[in-house]
Amino acid sequence: MIITICIGSSCHLKGSREIVQKLENLLKLHNLNEKVELVGSFCIGNCKSGVCVKVDNELFSLVPEDTENFFTSEILRRLTYDCYQL
Amino acid sequence: MNVSIDASFKSLNKHHEELCGDKVEILKTENANIMILADGMGSGVKANILATLTSKILGTMFLNGAGIDECVETIASTLPVCKEREIAYSTFSILQINKNGEAYLVEFDNPMCVFIREGRLQKMPYTERTIAGKQIREYHFRVQLNDCFIIMSDGVIHAGVGQFLNFGWTWESMAEYALKETKITLSASRLASILIKACDDLYDKVPGDDTTIAVARIINVKTVNLYTGPPADMTSDNQLIHEFMEGDAIKIICGGTSANIASRILDKPIKTSLEYVDATLPPIAYIEGIDLVTEGVLTLTRTLSLLKQYIKGNIDYNFFDELDKENGGSKVAKIIIESCTVFNLFVGKAMNEAHQNTDLPFDLSIRMNLVEQIKEAALTMGKEVHVKYY
Repeated sequence: MIITICIGSSCHLKGSREIVQKLENLLKLHNLNEKVELVGSFCIGNCKSGVCVKVDNELFSLVPEDTENFFTSEILRRLTYDCYQL
Repeated sequence: MNVSIDASFKSLNKHHEELCGDKVEILKTENANIMILADGMGSGVKANILATLTSKILGTMFLNGAGIDECVETIASTLPVCKEREIAYSTFSILQINKNGEAYLVEFDNPMCVFIREGRLQKMPYTERTIAGKQIREYHFRVQLNDCFIIMSDGVIHAGVGQFLNFGWTWESMAEYALKETKITLSASRLASILIKACDDLYDKVPGDDTTIAVARIINVKTVNLYTGPPADMTSDNQLIHEFMEGDAIKIICGGTSANIASRILDKPIKTSLEYVDATLPPIAYIEGIDLVTEGVLTLTRTLSLLKQYIKGNIDYNFFDELDKENGGSKVAKIIIESCTVFNLFVGKAMNEAHQNTDLPFDLSIRMNLVEQIKEAALTMGKEVHVKYY
């Protein structure tokens, strides 16, 4: 799974660095570094809402405080679902 | 000869003095670069006035094509006479380097110019003669690529006298040190600031005399192309990128959307790093064939503040430490300051809607203003600047 975080000017000011750090920590905590790759990207084009985060090809808007929720509800859920699929 | 001159200087004031009694003038004309260092007798206001008058008179007269004889005679009869010593006196060195490579150096009572060529100290032949009762040294020669000239006031070779060193730094030790530092530095400003730091250390931060180092280095013309901002009209994307990529220049892109445009047109992917070397700036990215890719407005704001600091002359060790950092803002500033003689700006005028968002803690809609200020800063530094809007 690839999570892309926008680090363009707008998203940077809205806290992309904090989100990157939180996700890095969460991935480490759940031992998921080998399953999930974090990558940066310049402007994804949806600047008006929060920080743009893409999970594979689905677009989300996040604020740093939502990171844990997002991780549980989107990342963990998807990974578990993937496991069931296998 | 397709060379350019990188010139810079640094001074220390004598302990307790507010004004420096040494004065450097760096002048550029269409055909020549002129660097003048004058050291006025005494210290403080009086010395400052003598040195300023001397360097300004020499500069103005040289610019207007006067010969050295006329200049020296004018100074001798113009300088105010010191009441205590009943003489009017300021030493000087003048280095004139023409675009065609011919150079002329004249020295009056200053320490000899340190001349470094091909990694070695060189002795240049000179002739001595007397003008208006002053004995001067004259040198005529041709410059080569990578030549380095260091002129100085006597405060440099006396640094540390009676403190750490019996006889001060001495010309020979200073020249050896300068040779070593010349080999490991690129720019005149960095070399000047290292040498002046050495003087300050030898004086134990208490300079016994006004102390000045002026450096001129002969460098290749170095072109830097910087692209920032999407064009107002998308149909110009192609033209902009192709003009930006032309020629043998250091290529910098500042702006996420700008980088996306370049990536699309050049058909090369962007690799963005997530390594935050500076918490307040977005990380840099990589595109094959582009020397540096960064975020736009925040990065350029940092760059501008470094350029402004440089122009103000606050360039000590700490400044160069900041310039050597790995964040985008420092990297862009370092290239403009140390590796650029011709600076081409390619500027897109589109407004970024997201940047008009007033909820953000920083006004992002300032690209045009930033570009204008960066252009002014580069001009002040003596770079040749071209701006093209799209």
